[in-house]
Amino acid sequence: MPIKILRVMKLVLILLTTTIMQVNATSYAQTVSLNLKNASLKEVIEELRQQTGYHFLYKTQMLNETKQVNLSVSNEPFLEVLEKCFAGQPITYTVVQNTVVLRRKTQADNSPKQAVKVTGIVTDERGQPLPGVSVKVKGTNNGIITDGSGKYSLTVDNASGVLEFTFLGFTKQEVAINGRTEINVVLKEAQTALNEVVVIGYGTVRRSDLTGATASVKGSDIKAQGVSDITRSLQGKMPGVTIESAGGDPGAGTRIMIRGVGTLGNGAPLYIVDGVPTASINNLNQVDIESIDVLKDASAAAIYGSRAANGVVLVTTKAGKNGAPVVQFTANYGKQKIANEVDVLNAQEWANVSNAAHDNAGLPRLDIAKNPEQLGAGTDWQDAIYRTAPVQQYNMLVSGGGEFTKYSVSGGYNDQQGIVDVTGYKRYNMRVKTETTKGRLKFGETVLLSREKFITMPGGWGGQGGNPVGSAAKMIPVFNIYDPTALGGFAGAYGPVVNVANPVAQLNLENINREFTSIITNAYAQVNLLPGLNYKLNLGYTNSFTSNYDYAKRYTVGTLFSHPTNDINLNKDQTVLVLLENTLNYDKHFGKHSIQALAGYAYQSTKYNYTAAGRTDLPDGIDQIDAGAGISTTGGRKTESNLVSQFARLIYSYDNRYLLTASFRHDGSSRFGSAHRYGDYPSIALGWNISNERFFESLKNTFSTLKLRASYGVLGNQEILDYQYSAAIASNINYVIGADQQKWFGAIQTAFASPNIKWESTKTSNIGVDLGFFNDKLNVTADYFIKKTSDLLLNVPIPGSAGAISNPVVNAGDLRNKGIEVGVNFNDHIGKLNYGISGTISAVKNKVIALGTGSQQIFGGQPTHHGASSTLTEAGGSIGSFYLIKDIGIFNSQAEVDAYSKDGKLIQPNAAPGDVKFQDTNNDGQINDNDKVNAGSPFPNFEYGFGLNASIYNFDINMYFQGSQGNKIYNGLRQDLESTNLDFNYSKSMLNAWTPNNHSNIPRAITSDPNFNNRTSSRFLEDGSYLRMKTLQIGYTLNNALAKKIRITSLRVYASADNLFTITNYTGFNPDLGRTLSVLDRGVDFGHVAYPLARTISLGIQLSL
Amino acid sequence: MKNLIIIFCIAAIVCSCKKSTLELQNPNQITTETFWKTETDVQSAFAATYGLLRDVNGGFWGVRGIELGNGRGDDFFIRNDVADLYKLSTFTNTPDNGPANDLWNTSYRAIFRTNQILANIDKVTLDATVKKAYIAEAKFLRGLNYFILAINFGDAPLIITVPATTESYFTAKSPEADIWKQVISDFTAAAADLPASYPSQWIGRATKGAALAYLGKAYVYTKAWANAETALKQVTTMSYQLMPDYGDNFIAAKKNNQESVFEIQLADVGGTDPWAGENANQALGVTTAQEFAPSEVSGWFEVSPTDKLFNEFKKEKTTANDFDPRMYATLIWDYPGATFYRKPFSSFALVFGYHSMFKKYQNYDQANELTGSSGASNYASSNNERALRYADVLLLLAESLTMQGKVQEAYPYVKQIRDRAKLANLPGGYSPDQMMAEIMHQRMIEFARENQRFYDLKRWGKLAQEIANSDKIGKQFFVAGKYDYFPIPQNEINSNPQMKQNSNW
Repeated sequence: MPIKILRVMKLVLILLTTTIMQVNATSYAQTVSLNLKNASLKEVIEELRQQTGYHFLYKTQMLNETKQVNLSVSNEPFLEVLEKCFAGQPITYTVVQNTVVLRRKTQADNSPKQAVKVTGIVTDERGQPLPGVSVKVKGTNNGIITDGSGKYSLTVDNASGVLEFTFLGFTKQEVAINGRTEINVVLKEAQTALNEVVVIGYGTVRRSDLTGATASVKGSDIKAQGVSDITRSLQGKMPGVTIESAGGDPGAGTRIMIRGVGTLGNGAPLYIVDGVPTASINNLNQVDIESIDVLKDASAAAIYGSRAANGVVLVTTKAGKNGAPVVQFTANYGKQKIANEVDVLNAQEWANVSNAAHDNAGLPRLDIAKNPEQLGAGTDWQDAIYRTAPVQQYNMLVSGGGEFTKYSVSGGYNDQQGIVDVTGYKRYNMRVKTETTKGRLKFGETVLLSREKFITMPGGWGGQGGNPVGSAAKMIPVFNIYDPTALGGFAGAYGPVVNVANPVAQLNLENINREFTSIITNAYAQVNLLPGLNYKLNLGYTNSFTSNYDYAKRYTVGTLFSHPTNDINLNKDQTVLVLLENTLNYDKHFGKHSIQALAGYAYQSTKYNYTAAGRTDLPDGIDQIDAGAGISTTGGRKTESNLVSQFARLIYSYDNRYLLTASFRHDGSSRFGSAHRYGDYPSIALGWNISNERFFESLKNTFSTLKLRASYGVLGNQEILDYQYSAAIASNINYVIGADQQKWFGAIQTAFASPNIKWESTKTSNIGVDLGFFNDKLNVTADYFIKKTSDLLLNVPIPGSAGAISNPVVNAGDLRNKGIEVGVNFNDHIGKLNYGISGTISAVKNKVIALGTGSQQIFGGQPTHHGASSTLTEAGGSIGSFYLIKDIGIFNSQAEVDAYSKDGKLIQPNAAPGDVKFQDTNNDGQINDNDKVNAGSPFPNFEYGFGLNASIYNFDINMYFQGSQGNKIYNGLRQDLESTNLDFNYSKSMLNAWTPNNHSNIPRAITSDPNFNNRTSSRFLEDGSYLRMKTLQIGYTLNNALAKKIRITSLRVYASADNLFTITNYTGFNPDLGRTLSVLDRGVDFGHVAYPLARTISLGIQLSL
Repeated sequence: MKNLIIIFCIAAIVCSCKKSTLELQNPNQITTETFWKTETDVQSAFAATYGLLRDVNGGFWGVRGIELGNGRGDDFFIRNDVADLYKLSTFTNTPDNGPANDLWNTSYRAIFRTNQILANIDKVTLDATVKKAYIAEAKFLRGLNYFILAINFGDAPLIITVPATTESYFTAKSPEADIWKQVISDFTAAAADLPASYPSQWIGRATKGAALAYLGKAYVYTKAWANAETALKQVTTMSYQLMPDYGDNFIAAKKNNQESVFEIQLADVGGTDPWAGENANQALGVTTAQEFAPSEVSGWFEVSPTDKLFNEFKKEKTTANDFDPRMYATLIWDYPGATFYRKPFSSFALVFGYHSMFKKYQNYDQANELTGSSGASNYASSNNERALRYADVLLLLAESLTMQGKVQEAYPYVKQIRDRAKLANLPGGYSPDQMMAEIMHQRMIEFARENQRFYDLKRWGKLAQEIANSDKIGKQFFVAGKYDYFPIPQNEINSNPQMKQNSNW
């Protein structure tokens, strides 16, 4: 340990033990503003302490002989102000980390104009020594560079001179020598984007050293919004990161896709929260987030090897900082309302359309439609289930720390009622994070607890309406909601109509909820073995419990739905993950070289178990299994998977100009058979900070940053079910046998095993550029990538004649994604107006190179309850392309029907005037699946987001827009509603159906339609482009003086609107589709089982004590 | 330095993982290596194969099977609630028809399972006779599934081994004639080695009589009349007899009776959910009765008899000048004193304009179709589907004889059918055509709703004529030749490069 530091520490120790200690701090500030007239030094110190959070150590008596201070500075660096305050005082000072230690000047201090040797150590804000810092006497050529330990020693002629400390990436600092012989300096990192610390796997790196493609969002950028999960507020903010809602259900969260669809299976990225892999981040608390960093290319993500092919999302939660406790409280209350209902007929309109449809088909009219004029408007089923629903969130966060331990503790409560009656979501969060340093050792942990409760709606009662949202659109308005005489109290459909359930009855007669408890813990111990060399043991443990509850009351709803007993079904599952990681980290700067090396070993085990139980025939009002009189059902299973890995990484930088990152991971997975168990994932990346080259200096005034990056690497994917490689015997495939007709237990192999499956791997090449203009006021990051996935893991459909009940997982083919993504931000001020503009845009194109047997076609996306598929995935095309029979107008006369023939045979023999004409693409004289054409892609040409934030005086405004362009959506609900084929309610557009006197583009009304006007066809494919105003927020922050008066640090109040408007031609509930899990039906809107998106207006406060 | 060493030691210990970390056994299921050891394993494999015959989606005697087996006939109507069923019953179905495709897939699943039994039976130590019987039983089931494929699809892939490699998942179709050869070969082998009967705990499994009856039926379908006569005559020498009361064949209380040659076993045991799929929650009854029942008794009224069937019954009255007892057992209509589900007929509405509803196989002595026999609130009926009744043997035999010109020999078999129905004796001296007309009439009313009519019309070449000459909804869309069979399922064509659609589709 350097002798000088030892001396300082001794001094500190003495001061601590022998003098009155005054340690105070609030938060740190870089700059201070003072306006002092004849202030005592004590007052000055107090003011500085409050503004900066620095500790001051001194004996009270020391201040007795000091002079009064007159000083007026505005936003000047703290150390400069310090210099000015102590100029000419009989006291000198040393800055050690965040503490300013005062001492009386010695004789030597007071004798200027004498050659002295000044020594010291230059550190960064984290206390790490900085080698290579230029130390120069101002106005002379006398200078030196700090050594490997950040130390310097310089002989100066004039003890009252000024030392200049300059280092790339750090703010230049000038310190008056003031007769001191020891000057230790803490250099502040320059506040440019390039100096941000970026979280990468198993560590952090300065953005200027980064060679991979990443995107990050700071917690402070995620303003409190009237939304319940963090990912939703990230939509459009990170280039190349697609975030889609996973449904409008309260608590449903989002799906994140990084750089397009890299696999045909589970495309979810790997989520790592404070070092621990988790299944989802939807349950995290917004206020807990320090940063979210997304690793997009192979160079960035390769350290996670086997699981990183779909990208990695690293979430870092807030840590405590040195200083007095900071207490933050946020509250938000809002109202949500459905953004867009579907237009359907009222009772009278429906009866008229229905009668026309039956007349046209030559079938008898429905009894309930016989007298349209007496029906009036009937029941508005959508009004009956949608409501204006409140949403509220409360959070509290306390953080702080001292020399040895830092802590951050928070709690949150979130209560969101759904816009669909009955549904709702509640979440409780608690988090503790601490870190303790003791000499060479560092310990820390994060504990994240959350409990969620989802009250969801039934998926359907076996009928064809779908869930209550679908039923509300399809339920005939002639029927009533309530029937007090019926068991359960609800009315319903009767007569020969389609069995659509009363949605209000569905919501009230079946109670479904899910409780999800998640424990995420991480604990680590790190020991400094040698200078720069650290060993870290990281333990992760997550335990999540799901408890599902489904209680169906007894009921009779109309004549089509009966349920004579109260039944209950419960199931519980638990997933336990254990992670153990050993890493050695070596961090060394020497001369112009900087090395960050990492080697590690990791073991990960995931165990899942599931138990289910149910019983029928419970007494009314009782929902416990023991009370049931009927049949019991049970079920259970468990699975386990393990992963063992070794990995290493080297980050090397020369003179901050030339950068190299190389990494390697070797993974073994229990999901594969012994022959293909292991996978190797190498990557390499190079970077060149051109703007740090000498020849670039002349450009620096306008062009402050220019960096080129290039990387290549291989990533893996093992997201398949466990045990796929062994041929299992399925049991409980039972039959009845014997004179007494008992159960006969059955078991046999029902599906084929996949003994030879191996890792899916993705090769990614990336080139990127980072640009900064006007002192980095304007920053642009752009990346171009090619991602080639091979050995795709996929359940490829095999022929039914093979006899298996499911499709085996195989390494099915190759896939390529190419894309470009750009992020821009600009921050400046005009007078008092500070403003920032940011935007992202990304375009990805995917292409299936090879699939299965070569001619393999995978169809997907059945958009309605019964009906044909709408998408095709095959070699040469894009994933899940729409593949549809093409509609080419309406037959306006019998002559047109007759004219549409081939070799004298009608192409559509069942058609009549008013029916849809379909294209006979293959010219075989009939319309069938062979006539399908590629009708467009569910993937947008580009996606974008842009935002503006501005503040003036105490007001701030923040708005964010987000959208996609050029994608298609198949509107499944419209396929149901814009046809009179079946007897349920219809779309308003059916009022304009074709008749001999009204040649519209809506086909004629006909029930049991033999021409299949509503067959799955291009008629229901729509443009899915949209532009949405995602957020508008206006805030007011109390001014400092007022805040001080009421003894708080800060207070901001705001009003916020989410999803204020969406500009789109899409006619369904929401162009940002929910629910779809499979990439093969990504663009299909399953409107009959949707949950529409809400528009939210909310008010909130953010208070710091 | 000492600390350093200790830390490295700890790290080394936690690093050293066992090789078994990555060698995991599936704890939920045994594998093919540990199965096929005991006779119980073989029996379980049979349960899993028989079960598919009543699979709710694709079993020929499950609810969808009954709907598609009857739905295309001139005696049957399906309402437009389930679009795919409506389409096939109105001859507007396409190759992506769900129920038709499920029938294909389910039949092949059963074939895959029978092939597994045949491939693995040698691994189990069994008495030689017992083993032969199991092989015969597996062949019966394979033959039966190919029989179902042949009558519904015609040309189809012929697979008689377990696919050994990924490449062998893909099989081209064989001509219908080759499928029939396999059917006859399998039934012949089954008839040789199956027992004539089982002890009481195994009642319900295939017997020698069942194999012979199906063999005879297969010969009838392939017009091998003499062979049919030989096979069917053997059945008449066994102990089968008509039930004195025709209606007893269709109620749960008289399962596996003397007339039953092969019967699908159904009971509301096992789980509670008929739609649960192949697992412990699956109720082992059938939902057909509930789907066919009128809405007044918690049914979904998915189907109706046409008036053509209603009128066919009225063509000939009994010697007591009453309606045919088979009409009372098959249909419910507005006759004096008619009750249904313990209610007078007047409490029911005939919603489709037809004059009757199906009574056969309905649990009409209950108050409604909601409650299964176990008291659970599901729709599982325990009423067995009589896949092949002795009445069928008699009429097929009569037909085989008639088609060989041996009309006189056919008389006694037809007489048994007519006697039970309390019909007068036929006049003597019928020509073969006259006798065939009588057999066709008898088959139509004897086997209504028993998956026979459409296939009978097809093999008689009378489909186009009889459908045109009916009150069937959608009859105008019938195209002769095309709708005689279901097309090859679109999914099969999509996933099987060797497969081509039939030419008229």
